[in-house]
Amino acid sequence: MYVNLKVHDLSFTYQSLPVLSGVNFEVKKGDVLGIIGPNGSGKSTLLKNINALLKPLKGFVMLEGDNIFKMSRQKIAQSMAVVPQDTSIGFNFSVYEAVMMGRVPHLGRFQKEGEDDRTVVKESMEVTNCWSFKDRSVMELSGGERQRVILARALAQEPEIILLDEPTAFLDISYQTEIFDLIKELNIGKNLTVIAVLHDLNLAAQYCDHLILLNKGEIYKIGTPDEVITVDNIQEVYGTKVIISKHPVSKTPYVSLLPKIQNKFVKAISRKIHIIGGGGSASSLMEELFFQGMQLTAGVLNVGDKDWETAKNLGIDCTEELPFSFLSGEKHGENLEMIKNSDSVILTNTPFGRGNLKNLEAALFAVEKNFPVYIYEGFDVRLRDYTGGEAADIFQKLKDKGAREIANKSELLAIIKDKND
Amino acid sequence: MSRRPFIILFLIGFALFSMVVTTTIGVADISSIDVFKIIISKIPGLTFLIEQDWPSTWDTIILQMRMPRVVLGFIVGASLSIAGAAFQGLLRNPLADPYTIGVSSGAALGATIAMFLQTSLNMTFQIGIPFFAFLGAIIALAFVYNLARVGNTVPVVTLLLAGVVISSFLSAVISLLMLLAGEHIRGIYFWLVGGLSLRNWSHVLMILPYIIAGSVAIMFWSRDLNVILLGEEEAANLGIEVEKVKKIMLVAASLITGAVVSVSGMIGFVGLIIPHTVRMIVGPDHRILIPTSALFGGIYLIWIDSLARTVMAPVEVPVGIITAFLGAPFFIYLLRSKRKDFRF
Repeated sequence: MYVNLKVHDLSFTYQSLPVLSGVNFEVKKGDVLGIIGPNGSGKSTLLKNINALLKPLKGFVMLEGDNIFKMSRQKIAQSMAVVPQDTSIGFNFSVYEAVMMGRVPHLGRFQKEGEDDRTVVKESMEVTNCWSFKDRSVMELSGGERQRVILARALAQEPEIILLDEPTAFLDISYQTEIFDLIKELNIGKNLTVIAVLHDLNLAAQYCDHLILLNKGEIYKIGTPDEVITVDNIQEVYGTKVIISKHPVSKTPYVSLLPKIQNKFVKAISRKIHIIGGGGSASSLMEELFFQGMQLTAGVLNVGDKDWETAKNLGIDCTEELPFSFLSGEKHGENLEMIKNSDSVILTNTPFGRGNLKNLEAALFAVEKNFPVYIYEGFDVRLRDYTGGEAADIFQKLKDKGAREIANKSELLAIIKDKND
Repeated sequence: MSRRPFIILFLIGFALFSMVVTTTIGVADISSIDVFKIIISKIPGLTFLIEQDWPSTWDTIILQMRMPRVVLGFIVGASLSIAGAAFQGLLRNPLADPYTIGVSSGAALGATIAMFLQTSLNMTFQIGIPFFAFLGAIIALAFVYNLARVGNTVPVVTLLLAGVVISSFLSAVISLLMLLAGEHIRGIYFWLVGGLSLRNWSHVLMILPYIIAGSVAIMFWSRDLNVILLGEEEAANLGIEVEKVKKIMLVAASLITGAVVSVSGMIGFVGLIIPHTVRMIVGPDHRILIPTSALFGGIYLIWIDSLARTVMAPVEVPVGIITAFLGAPFFIYLLRSKRKDFRF
């Protein structure tokens, strides 16, 4: 794999306002790179610098070893094609003629389109499924058809790199999938390098190999979708609370928005709740309580644990310990601090071994400090006691000192909401 | 695709036919046959075929008065259509032509100044008028272009607005000069409203070099013009040096406009109607649109000029008045039907 495009220390100002500053990255041949970021973060400006439509204040862009700002437009167009966002074609060319314009960069001034050009155009149109309406006027096309024609024209350029500026911004979901599947197919089939500005984070996560998250003209984070699309990064850059789960099929991060209006509505009965769980026993409860607008904390959870993942994706504060490790005293202490800051504590149905026994002690600590403690599901601790009875002892003490056993989620919610009202 | 050569050939044939027929129209009653004979008799090598059986004054009427006028009419119509097609393509707006972006007014002012100097100071520089007109066109264009420019690009809307503003201003200056011209006002006025009367071969020769140079440049970059129709950014992405092509096109079209205005005054709407109509027939590809428009525009103008000569005979109506009568409703129609998108 060699480097197809390199952006070095790129800075751009518009009317003396900085739009991009110190942008550095490389794109390898055959990579699909997504550029994401809020409105005004410089996404489109970055794209226009990459194809030399705008001249940067500082820095340069290397296209396969040549400085793009020293290349002729024709030379650039021979290896880089652009699919823009707004593609209202307001004139009467036929679809075929419009796609044939993709051959312009490869033709001499008075050179007529030859057999080779016609072959390339036909292939591009077949791949994008627009050969069947080649004689129609571009003005009569629907949005999805038009975008396919533009894509066909870009392919007719036989580019090494294709730049997309929110190519499906105005299309409905069926066309979005169609266009992106097509792009992915070309990426895999022809080893085409793709750089796409995208608004839709889920689309970006699903189709891109790497992502650049721009914030105020600087790269906030660059990496794989898993590394870039996290609750913290999104919260920091977009200033919006989101929940991140996994796409059910592709397993890429999936962003869900949290309507602010709901948070406002439930704020009146919001409670601070600390959850002691693990092994997935607390996941569904955490989600439920989260959507009810509760302020949650959790601990101590091992990194990589199912409950830990849920807490991360919901943006819940939690004390975390290394994977499969004994809970350290230090973490235990942090956990107790969290308990002190909460209104009530919920203990879920998680198995206890030597490693996490301290979590049970934390629950006991809460009861002793007169915090309401609820034992949710799994009343018979013997079934999940792997400590030879120690856990069962503590569990018994918990119950003796007033921890309540609640088996039903809605009952638990009702009790928590009623409390102190 | 394949019918293009036929359209061109047909139009060339029709243009020749029109020239001969319109040459027969006039106060002196000379038949088509005689016109044909007179023309043939003057072609070197063919003279022996024809026996002269007409009065020799007819020679003068046909060859020195009617022929140059018809040929000039053809050139003017063709040139205005080429310039109009170039401006429309470049600005992606069917309402653009040398008049709407102020270039004609600039040319007219340049020519008016030249004539004003001639008449009031008794100077003579006949050959200088097209040059002055070209200078006026270029200066007006430079004003409009820089007024309309935003950063490195010239958006269509601001260019049209700037054209309107500069046109109005220049028209005011022309009116002022005409007032100052006193008794010579009639001459300037008749030239300005657009006419082809009393034009001879020297006028044809005077403007031909400008028009050939401009037209060749426009044809040379006609494919780029097609790509620019997609949008300036898209054209740049397809390898076109958009700003360079725009400048060349604007200068070439101004050169043509300046030359035309200097001999025929302000003949409006030809550059608007013809390319638009032709586009409906041959499509928007400038490689065919421009030559077809040129032929179409030439034919259109020689027939309109014949109408101008005969409709109120013996009084001649300036051809610019007739083109305005026909063109203004067309402009309004375009404005109404294209209002939605304001594009092709």
